[in-house]
Amino acid sequence: MFEIKNLHAKINDTEILRGINLKINAGEVHAIMGPNGSGKSTLAKIIAGHPDYEVTEGEILYEVNFKKINILELEPEERAQDGIFLAFQYPVEIPGVSMSSFLRASFNALCRHQGAEEMDPLDFDVFLRKKMKLLEMDEKFINRPVNVDFSGGEKKRNEIMQMAVLNPRFAVLDETDSGLDIDSMRIVADGVNKLRDKNNAMLVITHYQRLLNYVVPDFVHILMDGRIVKSSGKELALEVEGKGYDWLIKK
Amino acid sequence: MIANTGKNSLFMEQLDALAGPLKKEKPSDWVAQLREEGLTRFRELGIPTVKDEEWKYTNVSALAGHRYALAAKSALSPAQRKDILARYCGKADVNIVFVNGALDKELSNFGKIPPPLGGESLPAAGVEISMLRDALLKDAAALKEIWAHYDPQKDPAFVALNKALTQEGIYIHVSDKIIANQLIHILHVTHADGEAIATFPHTVIRLGKSSEASVLETHVGLNDENIYLADPLTDVLLEENATLHYSKAQKESLKAYHVGTTRVWQRRDSTFNGFSLAAGASITRNDLDIVINGEGAAAFLNGLYSVYKDQHVDNHTSVDHRVPNATSNQLYKGVLNDAARAVFSGKIFVQPIAQQTNSYQLNKNLLLGKGCRVDTKPQLEIFADDVKCTHGATIGQLNEDEIFYLQARGVPRKIATRLLTQGFVDDVLNRLTRGSVREQVARLVAPSLAALEG
Repeated sequence: MFEIKNLHAKINDTEILRGINLKINAGEVHAIMGPNGSGKSTLAKIIAGHPDYEVTEGEILYEVNFKKINILELEPEERAQDGIFLAFQYPVEIPGVSMSSFLRASFNALCRHQGAEEMDPLDFDVFLRKKMKLLEMDEKFINRPVNVDFSGGEKKRNEIMQMAVLNPRFAVLDETDSGLDIDSMRIVADGVNKLRDKNNAMLVITHYQRLLNYVVPDFVHILMDGRIVKSSGKELALEVEGKGYDWLIKK
Repeated sequence: MIANTGKNSLFMEQLDALAGPLKKEKPSDWVAQLREEGLTRFRELGIPTVKDEEWKYTNVSALAGHRYALAAKSALSPAQRKDILARYCGKADVNIVFVNGALDKELSNFGKIPPPLGGESLPAAGVEISMLRDALLKDAAALKEIWAHYDPQKDPAFVALNKALTQEGIYIHVSDKIIANQLIHILHVTHADGEAIATFPHTVIRLGKSSEASVLETHVGLNDENIYLADPLTDVLLEENATLHYSKAQKESLKAYHVGTTRVWQRRDSTFNGFSLAAGASITRNDLDIVINGEGAAAFLNGLYSVYKDQHVDNHTSVDHRVPNATSNQLYKGVLNDAARAVFSGKIFVQPIAQQTNSYQLNKNLLLGKGCRVDTKPQLEIFADDVKCTHGATIGQLNEDEIFYLQARGVPRKIATRLLTQGFVDDVLNRLTRGSVREQVARLVAPSLAALEG
């Protein structure tokens, strides 16, 4: 359902991705690990359509209604409307916009795209509260400005809560585990696992193996210097945790 | 001195023509004196030019280039009258409606003030609303006391012009210890096709000791093509421990000139809770002039301006701390699009005696158009040494990270822009604690914010 072909990208004339190939089928969870600066977060942002990066070569194919489209030609909002979701490594604070109006704008944009009617505000409120409960978020957050005065853990939980609201077909989790204490890790992982099913897929980007104990991947890829240097099953994550990344460079 | 420009002399020429008929009315001595004071002073000053420090960023010479008529007959259709009532008058308990400067009795509802807390009779005990000319006959001393605070020799040009040409006004007096929960709404509607008219309404609000009241002053134009001049003056006196919630909301026609002044005199422990909306005119200038003359008093000045196309909006605030232990707090926010321009000038004076003053001022501007411009000028003159005064100003665009975050959640860029702008605006709108006033202000500002999506 999702395929990256020979992806090259740069920011301010610095080449960061140097030919990434990756194929993900429905129902699968893939993990990408790698040292700092290997290009993990760049890949996540490019999938979401961040304007700072320039793709110089390659394509990202995504299946929408049994048709493969190159999402690089779509605006960020169009990608999201087609079911692609990015859980941000650094969720953005938006003073002045409440969680409820933020998520209603988002949910309604997706409804409109799918030709469905917008949800009644009161129904949406009930729906939103349910999803917040799933991530053990206090209901008081519903009227708070988006991510403002949220702790690091609350911001990450909020990302997964938004994922639960939007129910994406393809989700990228960008270092969702960083900055999480053990309780938040469990809550976030439980939330993610509940959203796994045979029709959707996920790409979990992480620096550490820790999260992968909870969200068990089908495949693990090691990204170094803008390329995937090794792919294998979930055991690769443990191997990297024990040995670090250096041994992969020599190959 | 009068700058000898063609436009200015055209305006000075018509001054006599405008003032002439007023003399035939045989007004009371006091009105006559007020007009004479105003005329003399305005003749001295003329229309301000950009050479005047107070008008450096706002060129009003275009205003002087028209021939104005006083109070044209209103020719509102029944549908328009219905629309005015539905659109602007639904939420208030008292509506005093002026059309083209003249009181419209049919649209107004004066007497139906429900009794205030503890009051029994109708109209409300302790809340007196009358025409300024009647008040001058009945209670000239009370008005004289208010006006005596200001030296007519120092009146700025448009205050002098208002005094010179004022025809009708409103006097609101709330007696001691009366807590009036009702909203008193003064609505100025201008609608004059074909001829440029000028209005000079004068509102006087006096709150007695330990009283409280809410007043909303709205200025609207019905037709965006109408050219007119609105030069309103509002005088407020707050006696000991009185609290006034006062909002001025203005959305004139796109071709109108609005040059308004509000002067507030505060005595001990009084609170002025002010809000100012400027949602458009060709040129808007609002002067808000606060004198804190009693210890323990507090002034809150919140403002919002939102303009687009080539509109120009200028807010001048002045807070004069003349006594110790008083507080002032200002937040003015502006949204500009297209080639609109805004000016904010915030003066804070802390006199030598005014120790323990606590004063705060913030002006934030959001620039959405490529051709817009803001001139913001905080001006603090502090002569006391034990005070806390802070000020700040920001001018910026929407945060691209915030826009991207919304886009990544499926929200199109245009809607994201609108949502973030609304968020910027809501922060100051939410300081209006009275829901009906907040709704009215939000409705008046909506068209200029909606223009962003065009």
